[in-house]
Amino acid sequence: MTPTEAPPPVSIQAEHLSKIYGEFAALIDVSFTVKRGTVCAFLGPNGAGKSTTMKILTGYLAPTRGKVSLAGFDPTDAEQRLLLAERLGYLPENGPLYGDMTPRELLGLIAKIRGISAPEAAIARATERCAIGEVMAKPIAKLSKGFRQRVGMAQAILHDPEVLILDEPTSGLDPLQIREVRALIRELGESKTILLSTHILQEVEAVADEVIVVKEGRLVFSGTVAEMRAQGSIEQRFYALMDRPPLKEIA
Amino acid sequence: MFGLRGRVITALAGKELRSFLGNPTGYVFLTLFIATSAAAAFLDDGFFGRNLADLATLNRWMALILMFFVPAITMSTWADERRAGTDELLLTLPVRDFEVIVGKYLGSLGIYSVALLFSVANLVVLLLLGHPDMGLIVATYLGYWLMGALFLAVGMVGSMVTSNATVAFILGALGCAGLIVAGEAPWAAGILGTGAFAGLAALIWLVIVGNARFAGVAAIAGAGLGLGLWLGHAWEGFEDTFAALSAPTHFVPFGEGVFRLGDVAYFVGGTVIALYLCGLLLNRRHW
Repeated sequence: MTPTEAPPPVSIQAEHLSKIYGEFAALIDVSFTVKRGTVCAFLGPNGAGKSTTMKILTGYLAPTRGKVSLAGFDPTDAEQRLLLAERLGYLPENGPLYGDMTPRELLGLIAKIRGISAPEAAIARATERCAIGEVMAKPIAKLSKGFRQRVGMAQAILHDPEVLILDEPTSGLDPLQIREVRALIRELGESKTILLSTHILQEVEAVADEVIVVKEGRLVFSGTVAEMRAQGSIEQRFYALMDRPPLKEIA
Repeated sequence: MFGLRGRVITALAGKELRSFLGNPTGYVFLTLFIATSAAAAFLDDGFFGRNLADLATLNRWMALILMFFVPAITMSTWADERRAGTDELLLTLPVRDFEVIVGKYLGSLGIYSVALLFSVANLVVLLLLGHPDMGLIVATYLGYWLMGALFLAVGMVGSMVTSNATVAFILGALGCAGLIVAGEAPWAAGILGTGAFAGLAALIWLVIVGNARFAGVAAIAGAGLGLGLWLGHAWEGFEDTFAALSAPTHFVPFGEGVFRLGDVAYFVGGTVIALYLCGLLLNRRHW
């Protein structure tokens, strides 16, 4: 994609994605799309393949089979992955951060690596949006889980990316912190494409427009939140999906 | 150069350096290094017996000192990233794998250079005791620096293969030990040669096939070939060839004030090969 071309209507596309570790299939023939400017919840029980999918989408892992495209770039191509990474914000599972650094140092480091032209302004913006001003000078290792998660969000949005991938952004947070993070995701979702993984069903209704459900590495549902709850509540549909055979086999 | 961006490399090198020097353990390390090198230089009976203001006694011990100190620098470079999961954060930023490797390596080299700089205190002692040949001292320190640079790259390979810093330290020390003992005895050169064949076979497999599966089988086959050439006497110069990979052997001329291009090429070439190996190991997450 060149800068003069219009952005594609589909922001994230996975085609027949599989990831095999030795004898274990973490993902099996998963295909889905996420439209530009939507918040998509990636739902599934632990070990369903959510994090593996996200690692592939970000270019951290390569798929064993299948194709991926994010913001028009192929993350499996080394040079395209660099261009993609400039447009992508990523919060890995459990928000891994350098504990010996302060949030200010971490954001400064990431701003330098990303080559952000006005780093101080970008850091101030991300700090305000994620409400971490009061902890900017404290070592990350000494912050509460909620603040660490917010620092993780701040590094993900530092460069104002067009696509955000958030791996279980509310995991381990208390109810108040969950509410704050969801509010932030909703706010960010007004201008960005967001794919967030979760195994919390209420999260889907709270923040998402679309839903993708995976079970044991296979896609079992892809549609809007309204479609998900067409036959009752999201919870009822989810549990029904977990007991049903995958979509491909039904088809 | 090679598409590597200085901005990314300096940011990562600075992070490594700050992280080390911002930690009390870093200062304990520096103090131990200075104390150990001073003890090796001046507490050895040979120093006062020879009545020469040089670092010949330290030269005998330096490779062994580095065998323990250098892996202490590199053990956390990758192992801690993998343990904490921060490698995922780092490698999904707009960075090339090799920029990360070079950045981390230069950070570690910076730490080692600072330690070496502090050990110049040894020179002060020499100046108080006599009139050292400054050309010899400079050449000796250049040798220390080059040998440490090679050991750092070897230590980083050890840190790449595990998420446990202690295991990374042991692997790094074993790697450095291999380069030290190769010149000490024919059997040591033979073992190093067998290991080199195993590593080379695995490397060729990884580069050609691009898949980690069966790389272990390739390594075993390579080791078998190496053992066959060594113990079967199919290659008469086997032990001599690998004894030539001994780091202390290539350091000796520096300690005598002789600057030979071949020795510099050995240290620089070995460093580049080890860093290339780091690149392959980092790339294995895609396999």
